[in-house]
Amino acid sequence: MTARDGATLLALPPSAIADRPVATLEDLDTTLDPDAVWVLGPTREPQAFARARSAFDAPAFHPPLETGSEGSLKRQPLGDSEIAVTAGIGSLRANSADVSNTLAEQSDIAALVCDDVTTTVRPTALETTLEGAGTLADALPSGQVTTVLSGSEPAGYDELWHLEPETGAVRAVEHDLLGGIEPLDENCVSVRLQGAGPVEGYDRRQSIASLRLTDDGVDRVDTHKITNFGLEAVSGIGPKTAERLAGRGVTTRTELLETPVQTLADLPNVGRKGARTMHRHARVLETGDPRRLSGESLPGEDWHTPPLCVDIETDGLSPTIIWQIGVYDPATDDYRAFVERDDPSDPGSVLEAFCDWLLGVHPDRALLTWNGWRFDYRHLGAFIAKHVPYYADEWESIPKFDLYLWAVGDDNALLPGRTNKLEAVSDALGYESAGTGLDGAQTAAAYQRFMRTGDPLEWERHEAYCEDDCRALWHVYERLRDAPQAESRIDSNRRDSSRVETDTASGESANADSTDRTADRQPSSEPKKSEQTGLSDF
Amino acid sequence: MSEHHSDERTEVPVTGDELVETFPGYRNPNDISLLERPGRPASTVPSADVLRADLAGPLEHDLYTHQAEALEALARDENVCVATSTSSGKTRVYALQIARNYLAARARGEASTAYLLYPTKALSRDQERSLNDLYDELGLDITVSVYDGDTERGRNRKRIREEADVIITNFAGVNTYLHDHDRWAKFLSTCDLVVIDESHTYTGVHGMHVAWIVRRLKRVLSYYDADPQYVLTSATIGNPGEHSSALIDESVTVVDEDGSPAGPRDLVLWNPPPQGREADDDRDDWSGADDGNGDTVVERVPATVEAPRLLSHLTYQDAQTLLFTPSRKLAELSIKRASKHRQDNHYYANPDRASAIEPYHAGHSRKKRHGTEHQLKTGLLDGIASTNALELGIDIGAMDATVQLGYPGQRQSFWQQIGRAGRGAKRALSVLVAEHRTLDQYVVNNPDYLLENDIEDAVVDIDNDAVFARHLRCAADELAIDDSDVGAFAERERLERAIEMWRRAGQLTGALETGVSYVGPPRPQGSISLYATTGEEYEVTLEDGADPAQDPEMEPLAKERVLRDFHEGAVRLHQGQQYEVTAVDHGSPRPSVTLKPTNVDYYTRTRTDVTVLDAVSEESRDIGDFTLHFGRGRVLVYHGTYDKVAIHGGKKTDQSIPTENPPLSMETQLCWLEVPQRVERALIEKYRDFSVPELEDGLAGTAHLGYAGGLHAAEHATIGVAPLELMVDKRDLGGLATLTIDSHLDQDADPDADSRFGAPGAADDAPKNIAAAEATVREIATDLERTPASGWFIYDGIEGGLGFARAIYENYEAVARRARDLIADCDCGNVGGCPACVMDEQCGNDNQPLHRGAAVDVLDQLLGTEDTSALEAHLPDDEHGGDRRPPLFYA
Repeated sequence: MTARDGATLLALPPSAIADRPVATLEDLDTTLDPDAVWVLGPTREPQAFARARSAFDAPAFHPPLETGSEGSLKRQPLGDSEIAVTAGIGSLRANSADVSNTLAEQSDIAALVCDDVTTTVRPTALETTLEGAGTLADALPSGQVTTVLSGSEPAGYDELWHLEPETGAVRAVEHDLLGGIEPLDENCVSVRLQGAGPVEGYDRRQSIASLRLTDDGVDRVDTHKITNFGLEAVSGIGPKTAERLAGRGVTTRTELLETPVQTLADLPNVGRKGARTMHRHARVLETGDPRRLSGESLPGEDWHTPPLCVDIETDGLSPTIIWQIGVYDPATDDYRAFVERDDPSDPGSVLEAFCDWLLGVHPDRALLTWNGWRFDYRHLGAFIAKHVPYYADEWESIPKFDLYLWAVGDDNALLPGRTNKLEAVSDALGYESAGTGLDGAQTAAAYQRFMRTGDPLEWERHEAYCEDDCRALWHVYERLRDAPQAESRIDSNRRDSSRVETDTASGESANADSTDRTADRQPSSEPKKSEQTGLSDF
Repeated sequence: MSEHHSDERTEVPVTGDELVETFPGYRNPNDISLLERPGRPASTVPSADVLRADLAGPLEHDLYTHQAEALEALARDENVCVATSTSSGKTRVYALQIARNYLAARARGEASTAYLLYPTKALSRDQERSLNDLYDELGLDITVSVYDGDTERGRNRKRIREEADVIITNFAGVNTYLHDHDRWAKFLSTCDLVVIDESHTYTGVHGMHVAWIVRRLKRVLSYYDADPQYVLTSATIGNPGEHSSALIDESVTVVDEDGSPAGPRDLVLWNPPPQGREADDDRDDWSGADDGNGDTVVERVPATVEAPRLLSHLTYQDAQTLLFTPSRKLAELSIKRASKHRQDNHYYANPDRASAIEPYHAGHSRKKRHGTEHQLKTGLLDGIASTNALELGIDIGAMDATVQLGYPGQRQSFWQQIGRAGRGAKRALSVLVAEHRTLDQYVVNNPDYLLENDIEDAVVDIDNDAVFARHLRCAADELAIDDSDVGAFAERERLERAIEMWRRAGQLTGALETGVSYVGPPRPQGSISLYATTGEEYEVTLEDGADPAQDPEMEPLAKERVLRDFHEGAVRLHQGQQYEVTAVDHGSPRPSVTLKPTNVDYYTRTRTDVTVLDAVSEESRDIGDFTLHFGRGRVLVYHGTYDKVAIHGGKKTDQSIPTENPPLSMETQLCWLEVPQRVERALIEKYRDFSVPELEDGLAGTAHLGYAGGLHAAEHATIGVAPLELMVDKRDLGGLATLTIDSHLDQDADPDADSRFGAPGAADDAPKNIAAAEATVREIATDLERTPASGWFIYDGIEGGLGFARAIYENYEAVARRARDLIADCDCGNVGGCPACVMDEQCGNDNQPLHRGAAVDVLDQLLGTEDTSALEAHLPDDEHGGDRRPPLFYA
């Protein structure tokens, strides 16, 4: 982990920690090193709270228990700063004058925690309302922005609600917040509502968040799955196996490594192969060294020149422009960026310059991305076909590799990161990042603002971000290249069994309902991986 | 153009008259109506007049005039809706247009693709075969492939996307595949034709989802610079042009002058005999309570018993016969009963003759269904009992006869089903066996209703913001939403409001000028439920210890079906084997139903109740002295008890056994009307003498019954006419007339409190049985501080609501005026009305009590069309007197 400014607040839904072994929480504590632990309300969960208190070194708080309905705000130290915690909207309502004074006078309070502030979507009215807006307008000081953290909104939620002080009526809501956040005027109560709750999209009961706070508010939000910690982080160990292992006194990965493979293999539904994989993955997680599981060579490993590492930046997840294409050439250690700084309405120029260069200078090189079949290659292909169609066939014929797919999707390697995001993986593998403080969404939002207003971006910072990803990718590649290989190809059989699981998760299976209508079941989470050619399907 | 008579009078195995003559046992001639529908000669155009020579040449037959007309319109670059009869060759229209496009593109050295959208997977496979056959016949190398949830994944899918000229799928598939449109770029960019087959099936909730999926598809097509034509094929409906335009958001040329030949048809409306009168072996199956006086019929033999006998009889007479049943259960059961009829009746000297009869429904595997279709086509089967799975265009060849077990509820459906008998100029026989229920009895007594009135309109609503908003998220996920979508996908104001709503919810990001992207949970397409079911599925497993060979191998069941048909103790017939449900697991992450094979002489049928709880008014307004509310509340649909019904004879052997099911609880939107006390008091007096002797629970003679019947009738009529005024489908609406509206309201409703339905776990508080729910309502009724208002609720029958109730709230006067005129102008002459006015096929109370007069009075008072003084005469002298108000409510 790299050194970070600010303090870390770990937000845990009670359901995520209720049934987890203490050792898992201790692993969380060690790995994320929080300065305070927030067991989310709004419902009272005293047992989960007690669990958190005993497992973490940092102070824990649980809003529904921390402050009685009579009390006003609890001041919770967080690193060098402080946050305020309230039991909920009811408590704010009862103490609105006190709360207002405290928040207005104490400028060192970075945020207010209130778990039942939430938004409700009313599609029939085409309206999203802020529950408790009236109380917030009454209890929060006007003429300034108050950051409110709520476990009732998913982590990543970040919207600035400007309210009338008297009624709580919504004056405006600001989106895509990028620095310089101000109230509309002196009479405006401005609430920057930020979520810390479970994110949708996969099992909500496993979703946890860590928030980095500075005096200015939340600086960064990361989401994790609780199952990426403790024994369950080890490939092949689910809740049932973890429980059985606990019954044998094995609750940490170190203890797992001390348990003979044969003992593990005798557990139900594990077997010898599974037991070996457990050991290997536990070792990877403990040492931070990646491990190759198969005899498969890395994509492009046996080429005479290494692949070019590519990363793109767009204006959003449904892009209208690919405004930056970064290419790192490991053979020469050169980095090259193609950036549209002038005319965001022209998606063609950058693509044309990129293709001119790529096909002209490096006609024989392969490309390498991280998860490119889901993003970079997908959008590059579509945009080249549309905007520089004369290069479409050449583009199609360029060999394209996806390191994420090779390592994770096709089970060729075990990685030490707690998530499979490039940043987490390269970080765990010792890559020294440039520390731009950006992520894909921020850089997309920044470019959108440029498109809208013409205000230039901090181009160098955003270009450094893209370059950083290209170089990080090569770092991961090298670490994997140098990692010990499996002693035999025996593990390649594993692919079949692991595939079954993924296929089921994403399948649209046959599903005749009562009216004989067709109903394709929707893929539930991750799409099916494709092969290196990108030819297969999800 | 030529017209020619086919004077081939194909032999008919049995005519309507012969059926009446030969059917064993006495049938009162008054119970049977025979109608003869004349045939229609074919009207054709030489293919070469319309098609290029290389297409016209290999075609064996001329084109029917409607096919020619449609192809000419397509040649003029128009979109076309072909709305002609069953098996009139609608497929050929788009098949030939695809061939034209293909040849034209080939001449230019380009590709031309077509996207064919069918309502069922079964139909997709069926049409894949026949289209491939046609192109073989025409000598064209056009590849037609089905691509849906059953299509093998991986390279196979990629091959179809990149190589097929014609891809057949369904709207659930399109909804999913749009997420990955870049994989379809090659196919979509050369798309010249989009076909929406059986487009009349897209109505109501399903229809509006389809309309939005089409709009999303159009955005993506346009992104790939494709601008295809559209062909819609439809059964005969009232508004093919309007409906088609609503679906595809483009102007459409309607072709509905049918040029295909039709043989004459004998239409027999068959009312089963009164129960006690029937003289055959089934007699001991019922009590025989009838007094023998022919004027009043207390109860007739159920159609579920009589229709299988007709199936059995017609097949014996060598007529290949298709019996339509309203449920899978009855399809299975009818086979058993048909066979028993043969065995039990001495008329059939050789009972095993022509006795190959099979059931057919969507619960069977595709392989089995396909086998059955094939056996029908080749004549190996003599008869079939099918659900409406065979109503759509699966090719099973021509049948000689159809039998309908009960009136299917809609004329469109009625005609579509009987169209299965008699292809070409062949004479056909169709028998409608009436159930002993109001709707069916009305139809058999008023045959003109079937023959003269207009076919229903198909209703599609694109103004529904809830559905629009959900599809907007998908659209943003597929391609950024920007200014080019203004006007095309939605009007600016609506688009901006919806985008702002999702941005405030953290699910969209960006702005219209530069593009709005989706940033919510992955794959928003997955949250689209095309049929508005909850999406929760139950696995079906065999009980431990049972013979694994008897595993029913059923597909997972939707929650709604489990609650209705698979409660503990339910006896289900599956592929000829009876199963009893021994356990139902609702709670676990993988809910399941456990079955064991059994062998008993009954089946089970659930009873359904509906009630409204905890309604909270969000808006209200006065109409004269009446108050109208719009709000949210919980509707409980409750399959609370079931009856055991004897397989033979249909008598209930055991009644009102609890299912132990939880109620199906919907949080939805409602509107409700409160009738002022003065009107209520006067009308109670005016209709005090009204009674309904059959009513259970000792309420037959309650003083309030006439008035309650008026509310109930007004509720039905208001829902029934809503589509005349608004773009809603009444099947997605429900209603509840009640004497105590207040007891259905949330008693703790605090306007300042946050919505209680926003709170997690609210649904867990739902009463666990209907008795509890209704008791709650009655209990509240007795404790009310003020005299409760009477009136009726109308609710959206969909979780979360669909905006229908709101639309009715906003247009109440117009809807009420329609309802009033409908009831007052109906010439049925019955106090209790008829299916054309106040009876509702889906009534939870078997259309009782209903009172037309009281309904008209209520609506007149609401609309101010009747002077308030008209009621003065009926007001009781004693201001506060009167009978104690029973807490009656009727769905």
